[in-house]
Amino acid sequence: MKRYDAIVIGAGHNGLAAAATLARKGKSACVIERSGTIGGMSRNAEIAPGVHAPQIAHLLYNLNPTVARELGLDLKTNSLPTVSLAEDGRHVVIQNDTVTFADGSPHPEAATYASLHIRLVTFARLLGQMSGNPPPSLSGGWTDMATLRELAGLAKLGLGLKRLGKKDLREFLRILLSNACDLILDDFADGPLAGALAADAVRGSFAGPRSPGTVFSLMYRLGNGGEVRLPAGGMGAVADAFAMAARKAGCDIRTGSGVARVLVENDRVTGVELEDGSTIAASAVLSSAGAFQSMKLAGVEHFDAEAVRRLRNLRNKGTAAKVNLVLSGAPEFTGLNREQRAGRLLVSPSATYVERAFNPVKYGEMSKAPVVEAVVPSLTDPNLCTDARHILSAIVHYVPHGQAGGWDDKARARLVKLTIETLERYAPGLGALVTRAEALTPADIEVMTGAPGGHWHHAEMGIDQILTVRPVNGMAQYRFGPGGLYLCGASAHPGGDVMGAAGRNAALQLLKDGGAG
Amino acid sequence: MGKHGNYDAIVAGAGHNGLTAACYLAKAGLRMLVVEKNDWIGGAAVSRSLHDGWTYSNCSYVCSLLRREIVRDLELPRFGLQVIPYEGGATFTRDGDYFAYMSDHDALRREIARHSARDVDAYTRFSQTVTRQCRFIRPFLLRNAPDPTSLKPRDISELLFLVKQAHGLGARELGETLRFWTISIGDFLDEHFESDLIKAHLAGSGIIGTGLGVYSPGTAYVLLHHYMGDVDGAIGAWGFARGGMGAITQALGAALQEAGGEIVTGSGVGKFLVQSGKAVGVVLENGDEYTAPIVASNMDVKRTFLNHVDRRLLPDDFIKAVERFKIRGSSGKLNIALDAMPDFPAAPKGAPFLRGDLHCSTTLDELERAYDDWKEGLWSRDPYFDMLIPTQIDPTMAPPGKQMMTVFVQYAPYDLDIGGVRSGDNWTDAMRQAFADCVFDKIEQACPDIRKHVVHAEIRTPWDIENEVGLTEGNIFQGELTFDQLLFNRPVPGYAQYDTPIDGLYIVGSSAHPGGGVMAAPGANAAREILRKMGKGNRMPSHAA
Repeated sequence: MKRYDAIVIGAGHNGLAAAATLARKGKSACVIERSGTIGGMSRNAEIAPGVHAPQIAHLLYNLNPTVARELGLDLKTNSLPTVSLAEDGRHVVIQNDTVTFADGSPHPEAATYASLHIRLVTFARLLGQMSGNPPPSLSGGWTDMATLRELAGLAKLGLGLKRLGKKDLREFLRILLSNACDLILDDFADGPLAGALAADAVRGSFAGPRSPGTVFSLMYRLGNGGEVRLPAGGMGAVADAFAMAARKAGCDIRTGSGVARVLVENDRVTGVELEDGSTIAASAVLSSAGAFQSMKLAGVEHFDAEAVRRLRNLRNKGTAAKVNLVLSGAPEFTGLNREQRAGRLLVSPSATYVERAFNPVKYGEMSKAPVVEAVVPSLTDPNLCTDARHILSAIVHYVPHGQAGGWDDKARARLVKLTIETLERYAPGLGALVTRAEALTPADIEVMTGAPGGHWHHAEMGIDQILTVRPVNGMAQYRFGPGGLYLCGASAHPGGDVMGAAGRNAALQLLKDGGAG
Repeated sequence: MGKHGNYDAIVAGAGHNGLTAACYLAKAGLRMLVVEKNDWIGGAAVSRSLHDGWTYSNCSYVCSLLRREIVRDLELPRFGLQVIPYEGGATFTRDGDYFAYMSDHDALRREIARHSARDVDAYTRFSQTVTRQCRFIRPFLLRNAPDPTSLKPRDISELLFLVKQAHGLGARELGETLRFWTISIGDFLDEHFESDLIKAHLAGSGIIGTGLGVYSPGTAYVLLHHYMGDVDGAIGAWGFARGGMGAITQALGAALQEAGGEIVTGSGVGKFLVQSGKAVGVVLENGDEYTAPIVASNMDVKRTFLNHVDRRLLPDDFIKAVERFKIRGSSGKLNIALDAMPDFPAAPKGAPFLRGDLHCSTTLDELERAYDDWKEGLWSRDPYFDMLIPTQIDPTMAPPGKQMMTVFVQYAPYDLDIGGVRSGDNWTDAMRQAFADCVFDKIEQACPDIRKHVVHAEIRTPWDIENEVGLTEGNIFQGELTFDQLLFNRPVPGYAQYDTPIDGLYIVGSSAHPGGGVMAAPGANAAREILRKMGKGNRMPSHAA
């Protein structure tokens, strides 16, 4: 049986990025994927015969440019405008730092938005610097190399901050840990524009715009400029690009049988045992599964009690569901031109609406009036459907992982109905076009991808779970319990989104530790 | 033509911070005047006789945060201040049970075990963490918040002090500290405890006075803010000031007068007088005019600059920053005269915990839902309250055999929403009564016969507190205690060291670092800054220097 330098658990974008990074440095790596398909959350599926769709994640806005460059990812994408739908029909169209009404007339808050967007992106790019390295460990004396390298990194950040000038630096320090609602409503009237900002600040997380820390999550989203892009061929094409890079570099990718446990001897990993009983030897194992799940694969006994307690307390309650609607024809969103209809359509008419939508999920209930991010990829990418049909892909917020009363087909049907009713207010007759509907609750997404809680960041991106304390205090350097085991998924620094940085950083950490081969 | 007078320094507002600053300055030899809009001094630390024979601490009602260094410097016990700790408290359930907190460690462990054996050890971990955090933060309370954007030697040395303290914790503890300062009290308690009742009992301190819910990040810090005080060195303990909270400000007033300071009550500041960018005095609403080269405002930063300073004298950025400083009214209060000690059927007769803080909120979800109501501009239908009967420890607050009860209610909005219209004017007598009834209904959960013992009840909404005391929106902290408004961000980035854009005008109230509660630290710190700027830093007494 072949022995590898490293085995990577999970063929999501982070797992593939880790494997590719190792292979490009001459290490032999094998990716083990439990399900039949690669990609994790960035996958395509045939929702109905002849209709292919991005099944879970559907847009690309935070791909790490370093990762893309290093792995030579070959991706064709189209930039999409964001349309924040208004109940009064005065829809707002946002593209990067410009805002207008859908009918082309100027938006009164355009200048305010431009300056806020530019400021946030500037701040976000500074923070983005930190995603290329492990977070500061805060440990060690002032002398050892690791600490010095860390201090150098921090000094670079400090320098960047200083360059902002006193005024902007003070603003940065004020808003860094603040809540999105105050930031937005200090400068904007509450409406579709404020709603769009509020929704982007909380999408995927267990927080409302009033929750402190949501300005950070908004900036995290803008870390690479925040431009929303639709990959040609759907998110599956993104997964394929990562897989291609890995294979090119010489990685093996095995699907269909997951890792049952990580083999550990004398506190070092020696390989993995698959669900089919076979074992594969390796001197290092990188897991892109959730942090707690990764610990269980290696065996709780190999972690100290503190670490186990902290990992058990990791917050990862998913709040985003996915609803995929197969439509017999193109949906008619009133007041939008063709390009706008093909854009990212938001139902978040105000920041207050978003905060209200958050309330029920705290108690295990679905939002009465949900926040929806919808896109009709087949308008941009006709190849997704073999005929005149279209696919509407919607992320629905907030939907609890632990639905009070549990998730069954009736509850899923309610979710579909709620989604269609919510969209129909802006696209009359949409319901009549629906020929097939697929609803994926956070619980379903957890089953399909293994993402704990179905949370798309694997662990809540709260201020108390990022950087030096991500996933938990004392385990932020990708090294994870027994020697040779590394965490390379979204629950590691810098976190979630289709970004790839966590996988790359973990691989580099392993190489730095000289742990592979 | 009104009265005139000239002083070395004037303080606007006779709250505990204004009086504290005035005391320090007077002891340093300055000729001090304190002006107060009300006919009485004390701000939100007062004892008032609003019903014959009863004395209410009708704003703040318990004492712990008052810095002991200040008590020593100003010799407040010599002026009659006596703080009596109360042992424990309880949360009553709907089904006749309760969780009682007791200062006796063994008794507490037995009580916790009664609800969850597992939580006995959890509580030890919890209290160790919180105590460690208290020890970490206390040294910063009587220091300036360093300005991280400044290269002034003082700021750098303060920053280094902070880094040194933080590094001294060690990597593990520093990580825990980062988490503690940013996590929600709900999540923090969920990490430790399994009993909903115990969690709910402990969570209250995380939301009292704030426009946040138990699951809002940053509320663990708010809990810390309520735990970092002490009574006679017992960290986290709370007590009653004998004679009510007014005893604190009365003692400060007496100390000030002994040091030669003067107090004028009955008319508030109309305008702060400024000439060529320098503060030169105040003109009162009644026309009296007093001059001084140093003027300090005990009012919150919004009230000071948006109501009492000519806007044209202030930079636009500064006004914008003051306008966006968040001061949210979220708390109401009932002060109740009782004809006898009401019966708490669940509690053993004469149980010591009845002399402490009593509550009826039994789960974290219940507390979070109370917050959801407030977000909509409503008072909590199922409110959290912190209820005490001070006369159980200090009988002087009521006629013989009678009792006084104080009930602090979270949440109550400042702008009450009626039919989509939010306004303080919506707080009609009928609405205020409905609010009180809602609270009484919940008190009956623990104390079914409460209503028949009520002789008189004073109902206080955020609106009332603003109009009487002058606190914007009736917020007890003069500004939310969120990350974006703490340390060097409080109250305005760049003006976090008690100074303002106007030379000689200072902020001495809780809008400034380290924030609210009857702590008096902002007043003492401001006095230290004023003296330092005068080159009289050496006149600051040792303890708070």
